[in-house]
Amino acid sequence: MTLDTLAHPGVIRFKVNGAPAQVTANGGRRLLDVLREDLGLTGTKEGCGEGECGACSVLLDGRVVDSCLVPVCQVEGREVLTVDGMADGGRVDVLQSAFVASGAAQCGFCTPGMLVAGRAYLDSGAPVTEDAVREAIAGNLCRCTGYTKIVEAIELAAVRESGDGGWQLPETKPVHPAPGEGPSYARPGAPPSGSWTVATSSRGYSEVTSISPGSLQEALRLLAEHGCRPVAGGTDLMVMLATGAADDRQPLLDISNLDELRGIRLETPASSVGGPGPRALVLGALTTFAEIRRSPIVTEHLPVLAEVAATIGAAQIQNRATLGGNIANASPAGDTLPVLLATDAVIVMGGASGERRCPASAFFTGYRATARSPEELILRIEIPLPSGRRVRFRKVGTRRALAISKVVMAVSWREDQPETPAPPGDAGNLSAWRDVRVAVGSVAPVPMRALATEGILDGSTPTRVAADRAAAALAAEIVPIDDVRSTASYRRAVTARILRRVIRDAGGW
Amino acid sequence: MAGQKVLERRLEMDVVGTSVPRRDAPSKVAGLARYTDDLQFPGAWYGLTVRSTVPHARLLGIERDPAFDWSGVILLTAADIPGENVVNLMVDDQPALAADVINHYAEPVALVAAADRATARAARDHVRVRTEPLPPLFDPLESDHAFASYEIGRGDVEAGLAAADLVVEGTYRVGHQEQLYIEPQGMIAVPGEDGGVTVYGSLQCPYYVHAAMKRALALDDARCVVIQVETGGGFGGKEEYPSGLAIHAALLALKARRPIRMIYDRHEDIAATTKRHPAIITHRTGVTRDGRLGAQDIDIVMDAGAYSTLSPVVLSRGSIHAGGPYACPNVRIRSRTMRTNTPPNGAMRGFGAPQTEFAAEMQVSRVADALGISPAELRRRWAYRVGDVTPTGQVLRQSVAAVRVLDRAVEAAEFERIRERTAAERLTRERARLAGPDPAARTARGIGVALAWHGAGFTGGGERHLASVAAIEVDADGRVRCLVDSTEIGQGSRTVLAQLAADALGIPLDEVEIAPQDTRVVPNSGPTVASRTTMVVGGLLVAAAGRLREEFEARTGKSFAASYRDDARSHGPARAEERFDGFSDISWDDATHRGDAYPVFSYAAAVAEVDVDLDTGEVAVRSVVAADDAGRIVNPQLATGQIEGGTLQAVGYATIEEMKVEGGRYMNDRLATYLIPTSLDAPRMTALLVEEPFSGVPHGAKGLGELPADVAAPAIVAAIHDATGVWIHQLPATAERVLAGMIELEGSDPGPAPEAQGAVS
Repeated sequence: MTLDTLAHPGVIRFKVNGAPAQVTANGGRRLLDVLREDLGLTGTKEGCGEGECGACSVLLDGRVVDSCLVPVCQVEGREVLTVDGMADGGRVDVLQSAFVASGAAQCGFCTPGMLVAGRAYLDSGAPVTEDAVREAIAGNLCRCTGYTKIVEAIELAAVRESGDGGWQLPETKPVHPAPGEGPSYARPGAPPSGSWTVATSSRGYSEVTSISPGSLQEALRLLAEHGCRPVAGGTDLMVMLATGAADDRQPLLDISNLDELRGIRLETPASSVGGPGPRALVLGALTTFAEIRRSPIVTEHLPVLAEVAATIGAAQIQNRATLGGNIANASPAGDTLPVLLATDAVIVMGGASGERRCPASAFFTGYRATARSPEELILRIEIPLPSGRRVRFRKVGTRRALAISKVVMAVSWREDQPETPAPPGDAGNLSAWRDVRVAVGSVAPVPMRALATEGILDGSTPTRVAADRAAAALAAEIVPIDDVRSTASYRRAVTARILRRVIRDAGGW
Repeated sequence: MAGQKVLERRLEMDVVGTSVPRRDAPSKVAGLARYTDDLQFPGAWYGLTVRSTVPHARLLGIERDPAFDWSGVILLTAADIPGENVVNLMVDDQPALAADVINHYAEPVALVAAADRATARAARDHVRVRTEPLPPLFDPLESDHAFASYEIGRGDVEAGLAAADLVVEGTYRVGHQEQLYIEPQGMIAVPGEDGGVTVYGSLQCPYYVHAAMKRALALDDARCVVIQVETGGGFGGKEEYPSGLAIHAALLALKARRPIRMIYDRHEDIAATTKRHPAIITHRTGVTRDGRLGAQDIDIVMDAGAYSTLSPVVLSRGSIHAGGPYACPNVRIRSRTMRTNTPPNGAMRGFGAPQTEFAAEMQVSRVADALGISPAELRRRWAYRVGDVTPTGQVLRQSVAAVRVLDRAVEAAEFERIRERTAAERLTRERARLAGPDPAARTARGIGVALAWHGAGFTGGGERHLASVAAIEVDADGRVRCLVDSTEIGQGSRTVLAQLAADALGIPLDEVEIAPQDTRVVPNSGPTVASRTTMVVGGLLVAAAGRLREEFEARTGKSFAASYRDDARSHGPARAEERFDGFSDISWDDATHRGDAYPVFSYAAAVAEVDVDLDTGEVAVRSVVAADDAGRIVNPQLATGQIEGGTLQAVGYATIEEMKVEGGRYMNDRLATYLIPTSLDAPRMTALLVEEPFSGVPHGAKGLGELPADVAAPAIVAAIHDATGVWIHQLPATAERVLAGMIELEGSDPGPAPEAQGAVS
């Protein structure tokens, strides 16, 4: 079969707001455009088309995502909820009613996305504190309200839904589209005949075709035989297509359904030297950052990875972006990459001729270049878990969510004895550091290990003298640049200072 | 006094002053509110703009690349403009499409339209624009072309400085700020059978667009129709820019004989539309040792960009406010706004005042620090009181709430108590650093205060010149409608104006409608800008409603509420129209910039608390307490919403919103690189409402929308100094700037506090 016969506009069947939909479209067409243009559900908005504002948020199988970053081929068989489906019979739900009562909508353009993100958070059952609510909507930009009343509304709805207190929301009259305005539904967000069957009306700016392999074997065969581009969460690739940085003539290979690439487990893998190695954390390439944060295995065995995941984007991105994607994208600012370098992670790839292992330290070969060949997929990541190893992580970005790092660092070491906090200034009880790794991103064309700095720290105790020497060495070893986000001199100074702080915290001085 | 009377009047329906939920909230939360891109027009094509990729050049020619299939594509240039090739505003210097010369990067050069977006984009990429470069100028300090300049003053500033015990000098720089409405700019133009055209769009000023379309398309009043669609934010960015976009869409629609959709994507919106004017502001402030303000010498240079647009008015407002709300006997303010080869700058919430008041407030904070006087106390001493005289010679006769808002914010924020603690903590850190190894603290807390003023309405004779018209009608079916062209852009005008009208008529709020902002239906009540809607347009509606009610009650002998429906059925429709003809006893000379600049000023104070990361210089704004006086609060919930939103825009302006410009081009022209605060970056905010009514309008209300944007930034930068000892002179106070300042202090021996003598810079 040629690529042309494999990759063509196809029929995608899914549910929207509880109603069945059947759409004929190119697989790479944005879910946002399918909703707004093909199904006439204009409640969901486009604010940026790059996953940076959240105005296009919808729920996909209950999780909040940016629909501008979801290719419709990945919606097959799944359920989508939009703001249009939140009101029932024209009667707004408790969260919407709370927005009305609290004054949480001003211009209203961010409101649909905020409601969807708020709904996802309330449905998750997680504790409703102000900090948690702010984090839940950190992927939704608002320019009008300052967020204050939006947070109040979500908290108010939580109280109301839990049945606590005597809060009584004012009656909100049913709303319907004004006569003559747009499609008239008996129930907003539902199709007139009970289900949708549509073909795409008009091509978007950049719309690719897609192929959806049913197995890993089939995916690898397709990769080897044809020029197609793997897509998992799409949070980098869909942006590149939107900006023209990626060629929209190359079909997408949708690998998001390959179960072989899922899962988080502990293993004792064979090492390349022979014989059983230490235990390892093994994560499938398709593991999302939200899954990493939720995983009890990660929480127990490598909590720093969950810490990293929490700094990536915001909820919408974390629900879609994958560990494999972060690695394959190989941005020098990739947030997971320093931790992978600092923990001696191994990238396991698969191709037509079988599996191949590559240590993370050898994987990033140049600016956005990796050891992976175009016919290979990243299958999983194996992170050894030697006992007594500590890992510390720090990301410095312009703001507290949706920020590409200015500097991102991971430091790991092993201490010969269990850590005993020494009294301040008493260096006598400190243990020497062994197997030191200092890995930094955004300070070189690739995420890098600072080998000279590691050499200074290896065998040293974390004293002030050692910290000053290491910080100076690190400042000299990195090669940061001026760019749109920051300056070389800032990056140099901050990298040194945050390393010093890591050592200081360990030394307790 | 007169203002008191307004407050004392008990409102029959108790509508004004209550937080009725905004009327458009239900449709907005249900996803049923329709914004421009939500509208469907069968058979519409997509329009795109071809823009220059050089900042300054002779335009030699525009050609189609022969390798592209142009059948099914429309291409228009300046030669295709039927009327005048100008975007009507104040000065006729901005073309709708570049004709012979390109004056800025991203200047519109040609237009394309096609049936689908992919074809339109490909066509745009295949338009060949031939240019011959001209030397560009980017630095406003080097420019020799001023679009406007002013000199404002009173007393003798040189004598005042000479007599001072201490002169504090400072130069402050503030950069561009993108309005970043979450809904990008958009217009849909639909050609009419009669050769006219209707535009539906996201806009603030329907009659600005109307006037611009008439000139460029050579159409009369009736054949140009402008309809404002639900608008997702404006903040000034949709004040003048939509006029040019409407001309573009209309040109394509008339040529294509079909509807044309021109909805900007975010990248184009940031790259090409207007921004807040950058400015360089230099102060010399003379004070006595015991803290009296003797002289203010202020120099302002603004960067206007390539065309005049609204720059003269931005400069005017910025200049008038440049000394801050302080009584000073000797003031000189000299200002100019300069042409550069960058995209034209324009209106952005505050309109010149946030820039100049940042500098003014930093000066006050530095003087307070130099004299060892509390920054709140010093402001209290200097702030205007009733009877004081401004730099333009205006006597502030009423409604001066400067001290009230200051006291309110300072008390609510526990400013002095916290300041004492942060000062002690800073002293401990400094001593520790001097004595031995560096202190272990990770972060430092700081607190800062600022005070601001904002003139309500258009400057000087502007409101009289606008001659706004508002009307109230009762139609034949007994429906009451307000007819204004004021646009709901999120600020709540649709609700507030209805509240005012309902109150004045004595009927329930539900019985008052606001007619759509359609130039066929509503008169010109002026642009939705300058914090004028509630005060001026609301005032006109209240007056019109009062007349209508009196007329009904005189005729029927019953109350308006009881009689109007029956009366409409028997007597037919009725209408009362009110035209604005000036505030009494104010006089202004625009040429000399002397007199009563505004009928009245609003005042605001803010106290900000920050945490500065001592390793990275990152600034987290923990809280802002803001007290704002807007004369009379019509809807407290909407008012606090304006304060919270405006404050966060100022937080962004103060900390992370930095537009990097190279070669006359915005380098961070995507949402991934131009960053505004997220919910995690936003401070906890307390918005306090203060009422000091204005007797010049029947309801006592002044302006509110822009005021919050004037005051939070200097409070934050003062807090950064309180935490770290670093004075930041350039906005935004990025982590890079803060860390550089901290490193400089770490390396130096602090020494004793500077003596209060001579110049301190």
